Amino acid sequence: MFKTASLISAVLAGVLGLFVAWGHETARARSTGKGPEPAGRNERCLTCHVKASEDPSGAHASSALGCASCHLGNPLAFEKERAHRGLVREAGELSTVALTCGREGCHPREAARVSSSLMARGSGIVAVDRWVFGEIPSRDSGETIQKVLAAVRPTPGQIHLRKLCGGCHLGTLRGNRDDAIAGNGSGCAACHVALHAASDPARPHPPVESRVGDDRCFGCHSRSGRISLSYEGLAEIEPRQIAPPPAPCAAVTKLPDGRPACRHEPDVHRAAGMSCTDCHLNTELMGDGTLRAHKEEQVEVTCEACHGPAANETNWGSVEDAITRDLLRLRGESRPPLERVRLGRRGTPLWNLRPSASGWALAAKLDSRTLPVKPTPSDANHRMKGHARLSCSACHAASAPTCSTCHTRFDPGKKQWDFGAGHETPGGWIEDSEGFGFAHPALGVRADGTIVPAVPGMILDISSAGGPSSAHRLFAPLEPHSTGKRARTCESCHRSSVALGLGTGALGLDGQAPTFTPVKPAAANSSLAGDGWTSLFPETPGLGTRTGFRSLDAPEQLRVLTVGVCLPCHAKVSDPIWRDFRLSLSRLSPKSRCPFGQTTPPWILHTNADTSVRVVSTSDTAATIGFN
Amino acid sequence: MDFRPAAPAKAVPSGNLGRLAFGFLAVCVASGVALTPFYSPAHALDSLERLQGGLPWGFFFRALHTYSAFGLLLAAAGHLIQVLAARTERQLAGPEWWRSVLLLPLLVAALLGGFVLRADAEAAAALPVWRHILENVPLVGAEAARLVLGAGIGDPGAVTLHHAGAFTILLWLFTSTHGGRLLPDRRSTILAGLVSVALAGTVPLALGSAPGAGPSASAGSLLLGPWYLLGLQGALVDLPVAVGWLGPLALVLLLGLLRHARERARRLLIALAAAWIGADLAFTVRLLLLAKR
Repeated sequence: MFKTASLISAVLAGVLGLFVAWGHETARARSTGKGPEPAGRNERCLTCHVKASEDPSGAHASSALGCASCHLGNPLAFEKERAHRGLVREAGELSTVALTCGREGCHPREAARVSSSLMARGSGIVAVDRWVFGEIPSRDSGETIQKVLAAVRPTPGQIHLRKLCGGCHLGTLRGNRDDAIAGNGSGCAACHVALHAASDPARPHPPVESRVGDDRCFGCHSRSGRISLSYEGLAEIEPRQIAPPPAPCAAVTKLPDGRPACRHEPDVHRAAGMSCTDCHLNTELMGDGTLRAHKEEQVEVTCEACHGPAANETNWGSVEDAITRDLLRLRGESRPPLERVRLGRRGTPLWNLRPSASGWALAAKLDSRTLPVKPTPSDANHRMKGHARLSCSACHAASAPTCSTCHTRFDPGKKQWDFGAGHETPGGWIEDSEGFGFAHPALGVRADGTIVPAVPGMILDISSAGGPSSAHRLFAPLEPHSTGKRARTCESCHRSSVALGLGTGALGLDGQAPTFTPVKPAAANSSLAGDGWTSLFPETPGLGTRTGFRSLDAPEQLRVLTVGVCLPCHAKVSDPIWRDFRLSLSRLSPKSRCPFGQTTPPWILHTNADTSVRVVSTSDTAATIGFN
Repeated sequence: MDFRPAAPAKAVPSGNLGRLAFGFLAVCVASGVALTPFYSPAHALDSLERLQGGLPWGFFFRALHTYSAFGLLLAAAGHLIQVLAARTERQLAGPEWWRSVLLLPLLVAALLGGFVLRADAEAAAALPVWRHILENVPLVGAEAARLVLGAGIGDPGAVTLHHAGAFTILLWLFTSTHGGRLLPDRRSTILAGLVSVALAGTVPLALGSAPGAGPSASAGSLLLGPWYLLGLQGALVDLPVAVGWLGPLALVLLLGLLRHARERARRLLIALAAAWIGADLAFTVRLLLLAKR
């Protein structure tokens, strides 16, 4: 049978096995957590993670949910390596959100929707950028930033996005994220987890909360339209503008990421103590399941939702949707079944806006303070003929950021971070400008005819990205988030070249025809101001970054300026000439004189005589413009 | 205690792997008994994690149990090859031969039961596959699945019972009947024990990822069944589920009929069995290549 030799070999092998096993046993005993196993919980994470600072506390405390509910991994394991296998470091990140925040019993409805949100998809930025690069025919393509980041052979436009814009969306992960949001989490955590204090060596677990502070919004939204900055009363400037700072600058400060900024008046809502989420609804921020191309399509709240007149309000409903009910439940609140509530554009309840003894009151979502909401007064300013197409912000936006001298160039010899590759790759985009400004915005016309603030969206030259050079002069519609209680003055629109989209320069209204002389003409076209969007009385209006968005066309400019001619003498809104301005114009004659000796500019009379006027712009191009 | 008179010396030419297999069975049962107090089917993965990392020498006893079971399977297979090579299958009476052949599927079932009891991601995936195959057997499939795997989907309670009880008792009974002794001989048991100890110490046994432990735990990798059934798993990638029970049944029939076949038929049956094993190996390689991709 078995030989003695084989038995001896087996004995030696067995002894060797026992010896090696003893080593494994020693290592095992050393690597297991020493903390007590939490009683009644089927998790062992806390046997190692014993520090109280590692607990998010609140509704997501480890005593309530454990750790694996959010971070996955293997909570039953005793050893670190096994316990951390499959661990999601950034809980809530979108690729695993269905297993973490979106798991059954937690927030499946919200998690399912968030991937459809514009903050996750970034489709507006992608479409406009690639359209400007001439790569796609439409500004509404719906292409997502994820697709751009995953492109195997990226186009110049995609490279531009990957190197400059790809680090700010909900799908970013730590280590591959724009500096501006380095402290934010990913996916759900980008908003619902307090910012990481990078300088804190204890690395405490930030709290997880339904209440979203403005600091989470600030990182991404302090770029591009810079609405977070404007809301806070800040305006970014270039370092070279610090001394001396631009005119309306109250003080120079530094943003968290080091950019210099000017302090000025904050938005009136900010001054009242309101945060971003007091206005913006969950369907805007987390998506509503519908894929939308641009920010303004995603936004649901309107000024009228809070400040609209109390009478004739058709936008009413009750708190019936599951997510709003969840939100109220989380906050320990409820609504009487029959209590009516105002709704956003698509029917989402503004649940924090409630009737009060004095009208309406808004409960601040962060600290539950009650803020009175004043309805829009039904005065002459708000009933003025000819202003029906104006959005609220067209008059109430106190300022907007401007960067009209951007130049973007591609340097193939430079190396720059690629958010698609997750590391530096050859080639870099370099952006520079002559400085930022902040002032009353220009006015533009949306496709539906509404007049809204417009800011330089892409006044830029693109040179050398493997494609042909190109120049663009596009303005973008913007809700600047710099609302002032007082509207801008009549002159700031009707006698302002900037408001008309002409840029900085001198408007002449007293001659045979209106004239405009730019302070600094554009390099390629002397009739245009360098910071302008369009020319005076253009044959075709300036283009925007949205389909159908344009500058005021020639008849609109003429109407605006005609009013402007009269403003120096008829400054008050209660002046009789404004009751029926068309009638007032019809009474004018060449001999008409104002009480102060002003003569009537002849081009106004033309408009009255035959409803059209022949005007000559600075580029000597004639146009016949109707006035109706 | 012998059940039957000792076979004449010339009637035991089938080598000593059969005795070694019995030794492995003894080691396997003993180590299994040692593990039993620490296993709860209601908290299967938790039990395994505790055995693996939370109990002193728990990993070692688990590995001892597993490697002795593998040793049992390999020694039994080797013993079968020895028998066929020595043409000694006719030394057993027909019913006893068939009972001995049935040891093989019984052994595989016991091992598969042990695999499922791990309750990690691979085990959790294997259980429904096993159930699906059993349920595919005509007429008796659904009941057989309920009998072996229990009525509760994903609950390893019934498998635990069969693994520690029915399968083990039957294995011991059939083996002792086949070997003509109730207990294995001391030398084989010691040798099997030492080999198992050597392997358990030097080749630590891993535990797979927890089911649902996160996508990165198993992302991009195919969950593999036990190594001795990889061929069958590979076949089921493309072939219908009936192959899952027809294949093993065919092998058992081939081996069983060997005892009754004349020379040419015997050669044919052995060729068919070899082809079966060749196909099994081919499917194993293909599956491993798929898993590697």
